[in-house]
Amino acid sequence: MIQALKRYKWPYLFIMPFFLLFLIFQLIPNIFTVVISLTKWNAIAKPQYVGLKNYQLLFCDQMFWDATWNTFIYWLISGIIIIVLALFIGSLLTSKQLKIKKIYSTITFLPNVCAVISMAIIFKLFFDTNEGLFNSILVSVGIPKQEWITGASLSKIPVIFLYSWRNIPWYTMIIVSGLLNISPDFYEAAHVDGANTVQQFFKITLPSLSNVLFFCFITLTSDAWKIFNESYMLKGPSTSNISLFQYMYDSGFTIFKMGYASAIGVVLTVILLVVSIVQFIIRKRQGEV
Amino acid sequence: MNSKRRLSKIFIHAALCLVSIVCLFPIVWMCIIAFKDPSESVSGFSSLLIHQFSSQNISRLMALIPFGTNFKNSILSTLGGTITTLFFCSLAGFGFAKYRFPGRNGLFYFLIATMLVPPEVGSVPLFLIMKKLGLINSLWSLIIPRMTTAVGIFYMRQYILGVPDSLVEAARIDGCNEFKIYYRIVLPIIKPAIASWTVLTVVARWNDFFWPLLFLRNQENYTLMVSLSMLPFSEGMSTPWPVIMCGTMIITLPVIIVYLTMQLFFKEGITEGAVKG
Repeated sequence: MIQALKRYKWPYLFIMPFFLLFLIFQLIPNIFTVVISLTKWNAIAKPQYVGLKNYQLLFCDQMFWDATWNTFIYWLISGIIIIVLALFIGSLLTSKQLKIKKIYSTITFLPNVCAVISMAIIFKLFFDTNEGLFNSILVSVGIPKQEWITGASLSKIPVIFLYSWRNIPWYTMIIVSGLLNISPDFYEAAHVDGANTVQQFFKITLPSLSNVLFFCFITLTSDAWKIFNESYMLKGPSTSNISLFQYMYDSGFTIFKMGYASAIGVVLTVILLVVSIVQFIIRKRQGEV
Repeated sequence: MNSKRRLSKIFIHAALCLVSIVCLFPIVWMCIIAFKDPSESVSGFSSLLIHQFSSQNISRLMALIPFGTNFKNSILSTLGGTITTLFFCSLAGFGFAKYRFPGRNGLFYFLIATMLVPPEVGSVPLFLIMKKLGLINSLWSLIIPRMTTAVGIFYMRQYILGVPDSLVEAARIDGCNEFKIYYRIVLPIIKPAIASWTVLTVVARWNDFFWPLLFLRNQENYTLMVSLSMLPFSEGMSTPWPVIMCGTMIITLPVIIVYLTMQLFFKEGITEGAVKG
């Protein structure tokens, strides 16, 4: 053991910082989240062991269910929008008939470069009920004003819009790199066999991209379930568009219910693990991992 | 056939132009409003044109927030975060790519698996750990935890796998020690990877919001993102929109400039070289 350490001390030294930092700033906090979730604690007095009471409270808490539902919607709807549009834009960008690729790919990546906070502020003005440009456009084509952010029924839409707008470029980039790896011979052969563009897309492009798309799904899942910035900045009335992670932040750092907040953290972790594992299983069934 | 070709070409250009407009519009719109006089209306279509030009919004903003200090905090945390991440991620990537050692594959799979659980879910204890370390309100709280990221190491490893083993071997025979091999041989070869990862990290760190919001607890220590997000804004009595937009413009443009310059420097563009294989 010690001999191995001595012999391989360089590579171990090189990779050690990651594992050290992971231990201190991720593993220990995650374990402690579970421990704290079993206590009642306001961050000042001594924590008090209460068993699973926080979880019982959580499952009877309508706000928690609202937050979970909202986050689920964010994940599902933005996920679909993002993957579909990223595939579409990616296909356009890699099209053989396109000569000036660089300018388009530079511009279409821009949303991802912009700070989510500043963009959220702009979208807030854009979707404003009385002053917003979007309502003015709607009114000018004869549709009445809508309460996009301030109304409970629609307030999730601006969040989904902003989240998708900022994230599509990232997934487009990943999909483009996948598309560039597909051998042009496939398309040539399909062309000779008389397949049209749509057939080519479903018979060649999608299957060849399965690895890349799987990667996209996994990253989208872990990213969308911890959505925070967008819904925090475009806050609607009461819980209409609060995300699960935002509810955790509010419970922990606004009203200082540390135990309760940790319980939400644990639930969030479980959801993420379950979703990821299900994705892996589906993938394995297809026999491609 | 030829007319069909032309038609699809027109379609591609039209679609990409539309996408580009959607991408650019909020940014351009923000810049327009940033130069409007605060007395001017920003409602509806009148927000699209400047009737009364004003370049004073920045000084109005400075009266509201400690702009200089916040700006400095943003710059320092971005610089510190980016340099440390690049160094430690490329070093670990080198370790995984060019050495055989017991447990290598296991550790690597473990590293990939850590990506599934985001560190944010442990933010309650993480806050306490930072408090114990005395790092609340310090920019180090933003830099240290993310000096190494699993994604960064994964990316660097992929790239370093392409460096020929013979080069590493030759350097070793010449008597370079392992660290010297890293910075004399490997680092110069992976420059493109370093460049694209620099851009992606600078953008991510500069735009970071949740961690500064959590760890920085008073206005003097905020980064610009946090400071701006705390400005009271809505209709009526609060901060006028043009002043806010001036702030958002100032925090958005630096990264856009960094991104565009890097994009110009590289023939393929960062976005194409960033993810390989």
